[in-house]
Amino acid sequence: MTGHKTGLRGIRSDQASGLMLAVLAVYVWWLNREFPVGTLADPGPGYVPLLLAIALGIIGLLVAVFGGRSIPLFNIRWPEATRAVIILVACSVAAFALERIGYRLSIFAFLVFFIGVIERKKLLAVVLVSGGFSLASYYIIGDLLHVPLPVGPWGF
Amino acid sequence: MLETFNSLMLGFSVAFQPQVLLYAFAGCIIGTLVGMMPGLGPLAGISLLLPATFGLNPIIAIVLLAGVYYGAMYGGSTTSILMRIPGEAASVMTCVDGYAMTQNGRAGPALAIAAIGSFFAGTVGVIGLMLLAPTLASFALRFGPPEYTALLLMGLFVLAYMSGGSMTKTLAMAVLGLLLGMIGIDAMSGYTRFSFGIIELGDGVGIVPVAVGLFGVSEILLTAGQQETPRVQNPTLRQLIPSKEEFRLSAGPIMRGSLLGFMIGIIPGSAHIISSFVSYGIERRMSKHPERFGNGAIEGVAGPESANNAAATGAFVPMLALGIPTSPVTAVMIAAIMIHGISPGPMLIQEQPDLFWGFVASMYVGNVVLLILNLPMVGLFVNLLRIPYAYLYPCILAFCVLGVYSVSNSIVDVWIMLAMGGVGYVLRKFGFDLAPVALGLVLGPMLELSLRQSLAMSGGDYGIFLQRPIAVTMLALGLLLLALALKPMIFKSKDWRSKVGLEDQVE
Amino acid sequence: MKRIALAVIGALAALGVQAQDAFPSRALSMIVPFPPGGVADTTGRPTAAALEKILKQPVTIVNRPGAGGAVGNAAAANAKPDGYTMLMALSSISVIPEADKLFNRKPAYTLDQLDPIALISADPMILVVHPSLPVKTVKEVIALARKQPGELSFSSSGVYGALHMPMEMFMHAAKLQMRHVPTTGGGPALTQLLGGHVTLTAGGPAAISGHVKAGKLRTIVSWGAERHPNYPAVPTFKESGYDITYYIWAGLFVPHSTPAAVTKVLRDAVRKGVDDADFKSQMAKLNSPIQYLDAPEFAKYWDADARRLAAVVQVVGKVK
Repeated sequence: MTGHKTGLRGIRSDQASGLMLAVLAVYVWWLNREFPVGTLADPGPGYVPLLLAIALGIIGLLVAVFGGRSIPLFNIRWPEATRAVIILVACSVAAFALERIGYRLSIFAFLVFFIGVIERKKLLAVVLVSGGFSLASYYIIGDLLHVPLPVGPWGF
Repeated sequence: MLETFNSLMLGFSVAFQPQVLLYAFAGCIIGTLVGMMPGLGPLAGISLLLPATFGLNPIIAIVLLAGVYYGAMYGGSTTSILMRIPGEAASVMTCVDGYAMTQNGRAGPALAIAAIGSFFAGTVGVIGLMLLAPTLASFALRFGPPEYTALLLMGLFVLAYMSGGSMTKTLAMAVLGLLLGMIGIDAMSGYTRFSFGIIELGDGVGIVPVAVGLFGVSEILLTAGQQETPRVQNPTLRQLIPSKEEFRLSAGPIMRGSLLGFMIGIIPGSAHIISSFVSYGIERRMSKHPERFGNGAIEGVAGPESANNAAATGAFVPMLALGIPTSPVTAVMIAAIMIHGISPGPMLIQEQPDLFWGFVASMYVGNVVLLILNLPMVGLFVNLLRIPYAYLYPCILAFCVLGVYSVSNSIVDVWIMLAMGGVGYVLRKFGFDLAPVALGLVLGPMLELSLRQSLAMSGGDYGIFLQRPIAVTMLALGLLLLALALKPMIFKSKDWRSKVGLEDQVE
Repeated sequence: MKRIALAVIGALAALGVQAQDAFPSRALSMIVPFPPGGVADTTGRPTAAALEKILKQPVTIVNRPGAGGAVGNAAAANAKPDGYTMLMALSSISVIPEADKLFNRKPAYTLDQLDPIALISADPMILVVHPSLPVKTVKEVIALARKQPGELSFSSSGVYGALHMPMEMFMHAAKLQMRHVPTTGGGPALTQLLGGHVTLTAGGPAAISGHVKAGKLRTIVSWGAERHPNYPAVPTFKESGYDITYYIWAGLFVPHSTPAAVTKVLRDAVRKGVDDADFKSQMAKLNSPIQYLDAPEFAKYWDADARRLAAVVQVVGKVK
């Protein structure tokens, strides 16, 4: 995001986000073509989405128009973006693993990754917190509240 | 009056039976614990507990469930304040200023005021329920689709009116939320919309994963990578207690929020989220320092939190006085008494006086139990903030995954939460206010359905909105608020909004 | 640190060792495709409770309402066929794929995606009106509707749903036109009528009983083949000269290709479950007549019912 060195330098953050919303509105409108809009008196399934897409488009453009005084787009700093991406990827891996290797193993691995690899805490603390959390939370939610949490192929 | 008093005495004689008292107590504790799990709210709480009540007698069953309901509402506000994770739609507003107070080192007072506000609101609600249930219930029945449409529209107009920063940006987020609400099978025609072939999306996008993602996960994404992670807080006892000034500021919002919440609560449907938004909007408008809102204003916790709890009690009015389930929560509770052969209906109060009055009395008891349970627990809960952030945030994330998954055992919900976390992160970097997305998502499907139901009722005649007094009143009020909100934009384009808008950008 | 260690040991001890048993070795879920309080829900809950006792595993009710039951039915049809996900469906289950065909669209699910386990209950619907309406018999209803064609309105549990079909049968048989106001379930549909926002609706005998007793609803006629034991004064459509019957039944299904060994466990459990004293007394309290049929007979019953409803859908045609 921060890498560009083009003529876009002057663009303001609200102008960029407003235009993005307008683009999203066009996309929704495009998706909505397959649903009958109906009439004003008898709205079909496509009626309200169409109205909303139009509203989003207009409001998006308004955000862009009124956005001349917002801070320049490239003044937004993203110092935490790398970590944010790491977190999202790790969560996705855990979500993917959840129904495959079971709740306790996925969450254990997830916590070990964060506390041990990312935050570099002591091994004992890592194991205790990760193990304690995954087992205790399974006991409370799964066993006491009867929520069927996923169990892996090894029955764990 | 004397009759009511005598009946209430009957109720207390039921509620003070040791066994009933014990279950009321147990319900409050279980509810609080369930509510503290991110993603698990009151509905999940009572649904999980429902089977356990089949073996109990109906009074105990309903007392237990009511305790769980209350407790979960309160427990949800705890996670909202301490970790910015809403347990249900209505506590979204508590996240905003509650979490800001935590960051300012005022977590204790925020939790304490939330507990006191909930207690007051709960008490107001029970008194209203006791004295006015039959009267209010017939009012509640007058809310058909046209009235509901008007109410929801008013909710959206109030949003425009209350928006603190840029109104266009607030509305953009509301529309985004409404659009998210369009995903899923259309109840009027059966068409599946915007589901991208994902069968689970046929059910629509749930509010819990979206709220947890937008608020909780995005907060962690913003904070975890900072050079300076949040400092560990070691509050002294003094810092846990609200100051005199904070008590003074909270009194008005708690009272207004309670009345407002109760009125919105009795209306059939699940638009309770409106009560907390409207309360927040009113308090911000009435405040001498509206700029404090969003940065840790205690009124922003006191008002919505009271409104939220009063609405919860208000929802019992049509349930008990008419025997109709008007929200998912009361529907589960009706099922709990139907299982015992009590057919819900307008005769419930006459036919089952000990059930009704026992329930009312146990609500008084439950409120007191929650207050004495939770005020001392404030000190305990705040200890969570002593955990170093490096340990805290991975555990919060794991809790979010667990809680969101547990609600309907759906991995798709976890994906929605993560996607919303990413979206929320980017939108916050661009200075967007996310609460309206939650409001829009909840109101969207209801608004669409009630609008189309109204037109089906009238055969396509929009005049139906103008023939019904309640609908007209609410629409007029909403339009007035919208006009007031638009005024500064049209008449002076360089007002305080633009300045505040600029300041908002610096996160 | 000590505290954490203690917590871990405590958790481990509490967890114990989980043995791998035969089906069912963990909690089951029963999808109810309507909101709590409706017919499917009030039948599902005692059934789940009875199954819980026999299977020795918790059976969780999962309400997944929307689009007249299509959401929950599709969720069950596409669930893992391991027997851990069941479906408590109403008669509307046969209607939705038929409607999908009508619209020429990709169906949410098809009937062959589901295997019947057992029929649990069957109950005729009863036509109810708001007491302010000056009608007492089906003849008067028809006369009123003829006088104001397209002016009367009825609420339903959703388009093509369990409350929509009987009304369509009635309107077709009596050649009436009325406005249709779909909601998201039986409870909301009843609320619309109680509030006077619609003129009439079809209601389950159990759901309406409290309101009828209190005089807030007036019964007109029933869709039963004979008079309902709890409403002996209410005539049937047949008596009134219209050959229409409509039972709202609740049956238990599992996703297709669930192993036979597993369905056998479930069938046996249901057979025992419907004889359970608690189940019987609960269904009696709910005014729900038990109408148990095991899988083979239920399959036949279902087939006949599905064909009849498909014919109605064809007659009704597309929702405008």
